[in-house]
Amino acid sequence: MSENFMLPHLAKIVEARDLAAEIKLFRVELMNGGSDAFRNFQPGQFAFLSAFGLGEAPFGIANDSGRGSALDFAIARLGNVTTGLHELGEGDTVGVRGPLGNWFPMKKFKGKNLIVLGGGIGGAPLRPVIQYVIDHRSDYQHLTILWAARHPSLLVFTDEYEEWRSAPDTELHLTVDNPDDKWNHDVGLITQLLEKISPSSANTITITCGPPIMIHFVTKMLQEKMGFAPKNNYVTLEARMHCGLGKCGRCNLGEKLICVDGPVFNMEEVGGLLETFL
Amino acid sequence: MSNSNTEKKLWLISQAELEAWLDGIADARQLIAPRQISGIELYRPVSKSDEIDWQGLTHGYAPSNRPVLSVKEIFFPPTERLFSIQRSGQEIHLEESFPEWETVVLGVRPCDARGVKLLDALFLDTNPVDLFYARRRANTTLIGLACKELGPTCFCSSVGGAPDNAHDMDIMLYQLEENYLIEAVNDKGRFLIPSGEWNETTIIPHKSNQTVQFPIPKKGKWLEHFNDDYWMKIGERCLSCRACAYVCPTCRCFIVRDEMIKANKFERVRCWDSCSGKNYRQLAGGHRPRAEINERMRNRIFCKFYYYPEQYGLGGASACTGCGRCIEVCHAGVDITEVLQDLEKME
Repeated sequence: MSENFMLPHLAKIVEARDLAAEIKLFRVELMNGGSDAFRNFQPGQFAFLSAFGLGEAPFGIANDSGRGSALDFAIARLGNVTTGLHELGEGDTVGVRGPLGNWFPMKKFKGKNLIVLGGGIGGAPLRPVIQYVIDHRSDYQHLTILWAARHPSLLVFTDEYEEWRSAPDTELHLTVDNPDDKWNHDVGLITQLLEKISPSSANTITITCGPPIMIHFVTKMLQEKMGFAPKNNYVTLEARMHCGLGKCGRCNLGEKLICVDGPVFNMEEVGGLLETFL
Repeated sequence: MSNSNTEKKLWLISQAELEAWLDGIADARQLIAPRQISGIELYRPVSKSDEIDWQGLTHGYAPSNRPVLSVKEIFFPPTERLFSIQRSGQEIHLEESFPEWETVVLGVRPCDARGVKLLDALFLDTNPVDLFYARRRANTTLIGLACKELGPTCFCSSVGGAPDNAHDMDIMLYQLEENYLIEAVNDKGRFLIPSGEWNETTIIPHKSNQTVQFPIPKKGKWLEHFNDDYWMKIGERCLSCRACAYVCPTCRCFIVRDEMIKANKFERVRCWDSCSGKNYRQLAGGHRPRAEINERMRNRIFCKFYYYPEQYGLGGASACTGCGRCIEVCHAGVDITEVLQDLEKME
């Protein structure tokens, strides 16, 4: 007989720290065999985290499996489950169900220039991509990271910018909508930054995650102003999900299900459907 | 029905024989049959056959005497416990329990049995298999009852069904003037038939010639209609009450949440939900795709005829069984057959 696929693995929080305003990074280690399920999870996959007593919600896994067996999750305090998670700390038990969904085809991207565009907490599922490229640096050409947030206090993984910048052939561009006094990077939307950099589409793959409206305008600009073919614009999408396995029906994008057909898509696959997501 | 190549066995039994047989079933298993509960017809457990609403079961197929909810709830209950949670300090203990009952359902209509088949495509035939559904399905025998006539909102014959279609049953009953014909449709059904007690017969069930045909747009047509203004117009009627999904034999969207039982004790449950609901897609950050009522209604109709069939490999079939319950239950006059006819007119 099959297994109860809604039953999570138990995991211990081994680290909980502030990542940005109202955003925490949780590092969890799986208990009792759960680590087998998560062996070799791929950049872009997601998992459900349980705050027992409150429920569970899906989050992109924020680290690459090459960096160790623990799982990182960047969690903004926004709803019931995330508020519950924010109240937990080291040693507390959470549930983890996954890894779920498809992933960025990193092997297929070999030999390409990569542009990674992250908006706010949308940067979380892109961090494993950045880590993977840095750890396999010679497999890829130029890496450009465009990192944006509404305010400097909402930028995620700030303590890793030095690692990113110092990787060979890698550049990091930062922008915020509303700067503070200390801000000395770009100001404005990520599309303004993108237009300023105006990357060439030659031999280049873009990977975008952020608010739906950002994904919409970024991919539109890439295609209309920079001549990208939609199939070279990868995005990772989110939706309210309650199973992550194609059963609960909640995350459909037209006839596609974000949980099992995604969350990673290229714009050739979902271009016409993205409007229903906004 | 007249195909004699298959080893189809039919018996002629009286009402008394049927009731005696059901009483025997109810002694050993859970028997579920149509009952009047506070004036509402529902599939509910019965301990003796005289608790069954025979009047409702055997007199036509008017909306008042068909169960308000389909047999979906027997396999996929409105609320189901997925596991229990016990918390002590920083530690968590999870405990599972699964449905074990051997169940027999009497009086299943062909449209509802078809609905179960359509849910099989999702819960059984598409990995991963849903353990709860699979257990209930394996432990349940369906005794169908052919409909004598189509009800006012019935349109099963438009979506591949028929009022006397035994295909998705284990056992099928056909009402005659005084007696019943009973047919063992498959091995699971044959297992429940008493050996040597009933009179075998060669009488062939009267084939229903009642039919109603509404046009079902072809697969490719749905996308062409996606951006039609029509959805704005028809969507204005919808109240987002979700009753259509509640009574639908194939709507299966669910929500998962934790419920507190007592201090430090919780249950994770899944409950029916519907894409017609206002907050169905709302994310914790406040973003709410498909915010407009017409978008939600369009999604539900598309799901029945295009999305679900595509997602779960139904081929040319639709995920609507033509039971018409959504038409009966809608306070705002949304009629799925009207939508189908309107779409055809727009060609």
